[in-house]
Amino acid sequence: MSTPRRSNDLRTMVTIWLILSAVLDPVYFWVIGPHMPPGTMTDSAAGQQFDINVLVVTALPVVLAVWVYMAYAVINWRASKIPADTPVFVADPKRATRIQVAWILVTAVTVMWAFGFGVYELVVPAGAGGGEGPNPVWTPTSKNILPIQVIGQQWLWTYRYPTFGGFETTQLMIPNNTEIAFHVTSLDVIHDFWAYQLGVKADANPQEDNVAFTHTAQVGRFTVRCDELCGIWHGAMYDYGHIVPKATFYKWATSTEAKLASQTKLLPPFAWIYTPDANGADGGYYPNNVVPYNKTELYSSQHVRITQYGAKNS
Amino acid sequence: MASTIDTPIAGRHVSTRPAGGLGLNRYQNVFTAFVVAAGGYLLGHYIGNVIGSGYVSVQGGGQNDVAIVLALTFGALGWLLGIGALNYPLAKLVGASPEYPPTEGGWMRYFRFSLDHKVVGMQYVIATLLFLFTGGLLAMAIRTELLNPTIHVLGPGTYIAVVGEHGTIMMMMASSLVIGPLGNWLVPLMIGSRRMAFPRVEAFSLWLFTAGYMVILTALPMGGFPTGWTGYAPLQTQAGGGMDSYLVGFAIIGTGMVLAGFNLAATIVTCRAPGMTWGRLPIFVWSVLATAALLVFATPTLICAGLFGILDRTAQTAFYVNEHGGSSFLWENLFWFFGHPEVYIMALPGFGMVGEMLPVFTGKQLFGYKVGAAGMIGVALLSFFVWQHHLFQSGINPDMRPLFMLTTELISIPTGFIFLVGLGTLWKARMRMEPPMLFCLALYFNFLIGGITGVFLSDVPVNVTVHGSFFVLAHFHYTIMGGLVFAFFGGLYYWLPKMTGKTLNRKLSLAHFWVMFIFFNLTFFPLLIVGLLGQPRRVFEYAQRLQPLNDFASVSAYILGASFLIFIANFVWSIWIDPKPAPTNPWGSRGLEWQVPTPVPAYNFEHIPVIVSDPYLYGVPDAPPVADFGGASSPAYAAALAGDTAGDGAARSE
Amino acid sequence: MATQTTYQSTPEEAAYEQRAAESALWIGSRFLIGIGAFVYASLAFAYFYLRSANNLDFWRPNHVTAPTALGAAIFALTAATFACIAYGQYRFRRGEAADLAVAGWTAVLLGALAIGLQIYELTRLPFYPGSSGYASCFVGWGAINIAGLVLSVYWIETLLARGHRVKHEVAGDGGLVRSGLPVARLFRANLEGATYVMGFMTLASLFFWVFFYLV
Repeated sequence: MSTPRRSNDLRTMVTIWLILSAVLDPVYFWVIGPHMPPGTMTDSAAGQQFDINVLVVTALPVVLAVWVYMAYAVINWRASKIPADTPVFVADPKRATRIQVAWILVTAVTVMWAFGFGVYELVVPAGAGGGEGPNPVWTPTSKNILPIQVIGQQWLWTYRYPTFGGFETTQLMIPNNTEIAFHVTSLDVIHDFWAYQLGVKADANPQEDNVAFTHTAQVGRFTVRCDELCGIWHGAMYDYGHIVPKATFYKWATSTEAKLASQTKLLPPFAWIYTPDANGADGGYYPNNVVPYNKTELYSSQHVRITQYGAKNS
Repeated sequence: MASTIDTPIAGRHVSTRPAGGLGLNRYQNVFTAFVVAAGGYLLGHYIGNVIGSGYVSVQGGGQNDVAIVLALTFGALGWLLGIGALNYPLAKLVGASPEYPPTEGGWMRYFRFSLDHKVVGMQYVIATLLFLFTGGLLAMAIRTELLNPTIHVLGPGTYIAVVGEHGTIMMMMASSLVIGPLGNWLVPLMIGSRRMAFPRVEAFSLWLFTAGYMVILTALPMGGFPTGWTGYAPLQTQAGGGMDSYLVGFAIIGTGMVLAGFNLAATIVTCRAPGMTWGRLPIFVWSVLATAALLVFATPTLICAGLFGILDRTAQTAFYVNEHGGSSFLWENLFWFFGHPEVYIMALPGFGMVGEMLPVFTGKQLFGYKVGAAGMIGVALLSFFVWQHHLFQSGINPDMRPLFMLTTELISIPTGFIFLVGLGTLWKARMRMEPPMLFCLALYFNFLIGGITGVFLSDVPVNVTVHGSFFVLAHFHYTIMGGLVFAFFGGLYYWLPKMTGKTLNRKLSLAHFWVMFIFFNLTFFPLLIVGLLGQPRRVFEYAQRLQPLNDFASVSAYILGASFLIFIANFVWSIWIDPKPAPTNPWGSRGLEWQVPTPVPAYNFEHIPVIVSDPYLYGVPDAPPVADFGGASSPAYAAALAGDTAGDGAARSE
Repeated sequence: MATQTTYQSTPEEAAYEQRAAESALWIGSRFLIGIGAFVYASLAFAYFYLRSANNLDFWRPNHVTAPTALGAAIFALTAATFACIAYGQYRFRRGEAADLAVAGWTAVLLGALAIGLQIYELTRLPFYPGSSGYASCFVGWGAINIAGLVLSVYWIETLLARGHRVKHEVAGDGGLVRSGLPVARLFRANLEGATYVMGFMTLASLFFWVFFYLV
């Protein structure tokens, strides 16, 4: 008596679940997916979008399975619907063990799939646009990387372009179709540089150079927000940047370099991090070991570390 | 053996004689505590001024952190002294025997230092609800500010203070929300014990908890703290006096958490009744045990991190000051080493309560009891190895990100066990849709969303998009509020009839549930989307295009807040205005706590029960009773007592 | 709400709860060691983290060191406190309750001296607390060590004081060493726990003594 009813219940649930998953997964992936944040302005943004979509497609059947099961249970298995003399279902221990083992296997496989895919999406696009610290492990293969320094301070972002004499500006302009290395640092507390549409996010730590890579793919405007609570005006710490065609960028950069040359001379010399000695304000308290930017620098770990801090044996 | 010597055990409730102490307890209550706390505050402030007023940093900054920290610390000590929590620890210095505060005294006993775990549990109920509603009001203020992206109700300074207070109060509250009220009230009853292992430690943790509440509120008149509940340095080092309230408050609450966990773990290990083997332990007790382990081992790190922060601000050390050889990463690491187990401190008891209630309302055995218990232990263990997933974008150990992604995702396997237990129990059930059952089902609905979004967050590339955004905020509200707070209210509806002896109004309970459930989801689901669309946390200004979603969430949040008024009305109405006595076992539960009379006597059990069967044999024909309460008249009873079948480890100490 | 406030334990029940109380002390002292381990691990983490980060070469400029003589004295006193209480417990087990009293009070005295010296040392540091990572960690160690020593010495002191107060109550039953009365059994369980915790304190002191003064 109970065996056929059991399989009917299960069959109904599985059928509903299969239909819903088979409909909703493709609808999501092809209809909603391409519009998911953070868009496709850079390769890291596109990678994140793809990653989100793949995870949603994986998660949707899981969510649906639980929801269908619960809905079915709530509708059918309530005391008011079941005759009082129906014997209570008692799980067969062997069957229960099989279900438990199967459950563990399925969740484990799902988790390992999510992990493997996540690692791939992290490593292959050179850190997926996230902050990789001063010595990035995963670097772009391109040799032509444009470094841009992002400096956070309460409550403002400024940007320095070391390849253009190290001028500092509040305007963030980046060329299209270019590999960019954002070097994010802070002068006071922890901020977080979040270029939303670029799919770039990196904490700005004082005395730390946090590098994030991305490859631009479309021109347009993007939002920059501070994403780590940095004091009362944290909410107002945002501005906009622009991806422009290469030629426009070089025109802008060279003209700005020339225009700001007199002010650049007054700034501390360009460095990856800024200590109080950078502009001589420390009264000789700090070891003077900050080495300026070196154009021949490569993104291999030890090299950056050494040029960044200078000789360690002071 | 029943001696006349006043040990913590024999004749505990008989003795009211002052045994070497001064018998002060009968004169002490919250009012004396307030007076002594105020005195302590002033004394601490005075000492701090004497010590610190000459410091360059104080003279230059106009803010004496030494005085603030000492005032808060002495205030908290004064609170403990005034309530009587320190009577025995001080009397002990001259070897005094323990002195027991009176267990009688009607309602006034709830305003006194009490060693009865049921009184402490009720005190915790009131204290945690006070915490919850204070934090909830602050949440309403946050949603009010976010009604409009550019027109400001609070302004950035007040807003950031409110955000910090809300987060900190809620985190402090949530870490004790179940452990404090229900853990303390229920665990001895569930394991068949007449007492806690360390009742003074238990009561001490409660009064520390209340002291922490007041300390954290003192931040508001000092301008709040600008760091949110995570307290990141160097902003922490830079902040005003409110930051001291945060650090001292968290250290006090942390100490209370360690002590509460210490007592509960020791109780569960040593005080189980004969026959209460590990395989018969109620699933809620398993969850409390796992949580207690987390409390005991993770919270010391928070206390240390707080101590370092206090030293940075008072003794001018440089733990978190990069320019002086410290590191802002140090706080992030220490804080999250505590902070992530903290998340499971909040989640696990909720799972346990649901596991406890589901069999009752489905009329079935709990499915996969062992898997459920193993899942909780697994979650507890794994939670120590995931903390850096909060720091994926920070630049700390970038090469470790795959490892932390793996450990974080692995946690979803034991968490999945909890779902397996729940869904398996629902199979061909005979569900009674009583309020507690609805809250249980809601937990599964909400926690599913919370858990799945957690997997998204653990994926590093996706984390680049959503880290630090409203997505994170909505995610952890789905897990903590959607999980723990729902389980807590389900538990209250389930156990309050036992705790208070009164029946709660069913219609109001159902109204509370439906309003809370619907508007909880209508509040936080839009916030998931808001986060995906690029709104960072803790901002008072946001993109114009996100206003409709934010306003929708705000209005829902108001109604969600109003749902708690239904609960309060229900509570007040059913318990004081129109009380209807509750039956001894209204839900037909097999739980040991339901087998004792209502109201539960101070000593819980006339005789130590002997546990004779598994706890969840619902619907099993001819299931034996849970326990033998018969006392020495039954032969099995004496044999079990003498044989010590619970294996409480007594053999070790001799 | 007229609840009955008394109950009658059978002898078996009293014995059962007595065993539970002793086990609770046993397991409680182990939990205390666990709590302490995480406290010290947090400090050790801070020490090694800042040391390896060495931000701006400010971990330990010029290899500044806290007063070594004082440091050695504090460690020696901590170790002596443990030695005394451990020896006291050893003699106590052999039936010499009086030896425990002498050794125990000596332990309390030495422990109090260690606390005093630790406080004194913090006022005599040759460096400013915020001058380096090392200096910060050292001040943190000072604070934690004072707290840890105060709690351990408090435990030993209260234990001995209790022992003196109840001595006459158990005198007819074999004294604290052999009496089966609850108060004596709890005393023994407490003594065992306190000794273990003090031993753990000494190990931690040794670790930090090495890393703050010798390395």
